[in-house]
Amino acid sequence: MTDTVKIFSDLNREVIEKGICGKCGGCVSFCSAGNLMALEMADNGLPRYLDEDKCKKCGICYLICPQTNTLDSELQEKFAWSPPIGPYKKIVSAQTTIDDVKAVCTDGGVVTSLLLYLLERNMIDGAIVSKREGFKRQAMIAKTSEELIEAAGSGFSGSQHLEELGGKYTTYTPILSAIKSLEKRYLHDVAVVGTPCQINSIRKMQCLDIIPAHLIKYTIGLFCIESFSFDDLARERLENKLDINFQDVVKLNIKDDFQIALSNGVKIHVPLEEVDEVARPACFACRDFSNEYADISVGGLGSPDRYTTIVIRTGTGAALYDDALKRGYIQERVIKDIKEGELETTRILAKIKAFTKKKRNRAKMTLEGLK
Amino acid sequence: MEEKPVLIIGGGISGIQAALDLGDMGIRVHLVEEKPCIGGRMAQLDKTFPTNDCSICILAPKLSDCFRHPNITLHTYSEIKKVNGQKGDFTVKIRKYAKYVKEDECINCGECNAKCPVKVPDEFDVGLRNREAIYLYYLQGVPPVMTIDREHCLFFTRGVCRICEKFCPKEAIDFDQKDEDVIINVNSIIVATGFDPFDPTAITQYGYKRYRNVVTSIEYERLICASGPTGGHLERQSDGKPAKKIAFIQCVGSRDVKNNRYCSSVCCMHATKEAMLAFEHDSELKSYIFYMDLRAAGKGFQKYLERGEQEYNISYIRSRIANITEDQNENLVIQYDDPETSKNKKVTVDLAVLATSLIPRSGVEELARILNVELDDYKFFKTDPLNPLDSSRPGIYVCGCCRGPTDIPESVAQASGAAERAAETLFEVVIT
Repeated sequence: MTDTVKIFSDLNREVIEKGICGKCGGCVSFCSAGNLMALEMADNGLPRYLDEDKCKKCGICYLICPQTNTLDSELQEKFAWSPPIGPYKKIVSAQTTIDDVKAVCTDGGVVTSLLLYLLERNMIDGAIVSKREGFKRQAMIAKTSEELIEAAGSGFSGSQHLEELGGKYTTYTPILSAIKSLEKRYLHDVAVVGTPCQINSIRKMQCLDIIPAHLIKYTIGLFCIESFSFDDLARERLENKLDINFQDVVKLNIKDDFQIALSNGVKIHVPLEEVDEVARPACFACRDFSNEYADISVGGLGSPDRYTTIVIRTGTGAALYDDALKRGYIQERVIKDIKEGELETTRILAKIKAFTKKKRNRAKMTLEGLK
Repeated sequence: MEEKPVLIIGGGISGIQAALDLGDMGIRVHLVEEKPCIGGRMAQLDKTFPTNDCSICILAPKLSDCFRHPNITLHTYSEIKKVNGQKGDFTVKIRKYAKYVKEDECINCGECNAKCPVKVPDEFDVGLRNREAIYLYYLQGVPPVMTIDREHCLFFTRGVCRICEKFCPKEAIDFDQKDEDVIINVNSIIVATGFDPFDPTAITQYGYKRYRNVVTSIEYERLICASGPTGGHLERQSDGKPAKKIAFIQCVGSRDVKNNRYCSSVCCMHATKEAMLAFEHDSELKSYIFYMDLRAAGKGFQKYLERGEQEYNISYIRSRIANITEDQNENLVIQYDDPETSKNKKVTVDLAVLATSLIPRSGVEELARILNVELDDYKFFKTDPLNPLDSSRPGIYVCGCCRGPTDIPESVAQASGAAERAAETLFEVVIT
């Protein structure tokens, strides 16, 4: 049986070398959380062996990769997935009620507000979010409201990768079982904001009941058509193409198209196809637009300015949303006319479906091209 | 000819005491326990009334005596599958589940479970912390060897991992182990399968599982225990702050026409003990015990309650609880009717502890069927007032909580009695 276990070298051949690794960091987060320390993220964001001799050939990294399919049917069953956009209980538009969040948010500031709610109500000890540093984003664990608001902003690339959780977790994990039994259950509750590939890896880990995903109590998923890697080359190309200077960019957002807000107040709309060249190639192999396994999925698509579209998917997600709403952290967009309201929901749903279809077709073509 | 052995089903304090008594008489015993370690409910308690002794400290010597006793054979992680025959000659089939760890090799070093990636709720700590798929049932558990839980082990569920095997310094992991059936012939059987705590979720007015600061007695015992999930710090689940005011709600599921009509007999005492323990941790702490009737009939028990009131800042409030609600800070508002004044009153506390009733263990009906003995209306083992330790079938005796809610001193006394009844069966002389 052991001989047939697929391990990191298989992952390397089947995913990384084919260029479809989404750099979610799931494999590395597991390996470092378990203190196995065989894997690391290289500077280019791809996982690699840190020390091949330390690899126990357990095969778990292979199973939890979003680009492998062994656990797919189990995942679908566990999270009651249904076509075409995954399970959902409700689709709404909402915005934050908190001024500090309004000042920095991309759309309606709902993600930051939900996380503030979780932190202030002691439902979590920290939230894994990403923080902007120059043009790049860095994953961090926000443990206070201040840290959260600081990290808020253009959130499209989500948490950079899950490795952060593995690292943090390791430092908290005492080695001997005696000390381990003292681990407090409420010291380790975490919320994650992530892209579909990141949430997918977390859910696969949760299917297996393994570290470090057992700490994750809430998953907030971002809509994701593709992530952009703004390395120097890509930036230069985009600057030339659009005739802008990246120094002037204050906000990047994707709604129906790619939107760039400049410091002089000008907003540039670019068709998504035009920015494909700066998207990470691995994203073209991804089938998930609306973050189908998250507790709550969010994005700008379909909602008016200053509002976030919210897809409430799981019971956990519904309880979180309803209580945050009740306690005034967020407010829902009210459309007085009931018919018009229903129509609006249908419109949003149609847009999500259309983007989902587009992404699935693209993935199909990409993966067929690899064969 | 050597006498036949005695089978004892259940490795809690009652079964352990009966085994030791018989063993010391020179009678061979097979002690069967379904969990990976013996110790039972008593091992989960922090202290015991009416002496406030540390529970595991007075239990542990008995555990190791049992483990090392030349006349006692332990069968842990095992179940009774079949019983045939009659008094003096029972044939019993015991299913020993594979632990996938060689008991003779494992030194309980903890390397394996430090590396096991699986995290599932720990049963011994009633879900208050997680354990791994390879685990020691509890810190002081006997036998002190690891067990692999095949329901969650990734090798058994998906054919991957085997990390524990790669880290074990003694090569004690054995994935090829199989469950075994052991057939033994015994003279008599003692049943000591204990109790389960009642699940109060359905009594919605108490808010259990809805409010984070409402816990059950057994959860409280683990929370205040130094080897428990919080290291003995009594903190609120909502914000980690220490509890300063605690309400103990009595008769949760007991003396209740909708649940269990009987009195669970131990709760007035254990609530008092639990309030005393909290006070010992923090002398500014205030406790309220909301009761219907105070029942403290055992030896030294009434005096214990008096000490609680006089020395441990406990207020005993005779009352009927209407409901528990939560305020903005997740403090709990206990609303109750005061029968003396017929008035509605309320008290706000940081933590509420539900004294859940003692109910028969799950699976007891199947065991009764295998043993072919009768249960009473509440599914405790049926006994006769003048033969209180005899089941409905000759040669099968019962003691401890499986025959009805019983405190520890009483369970130990019953266990000695049941051991004596079993010994009597062996040495019975027919006088003509």
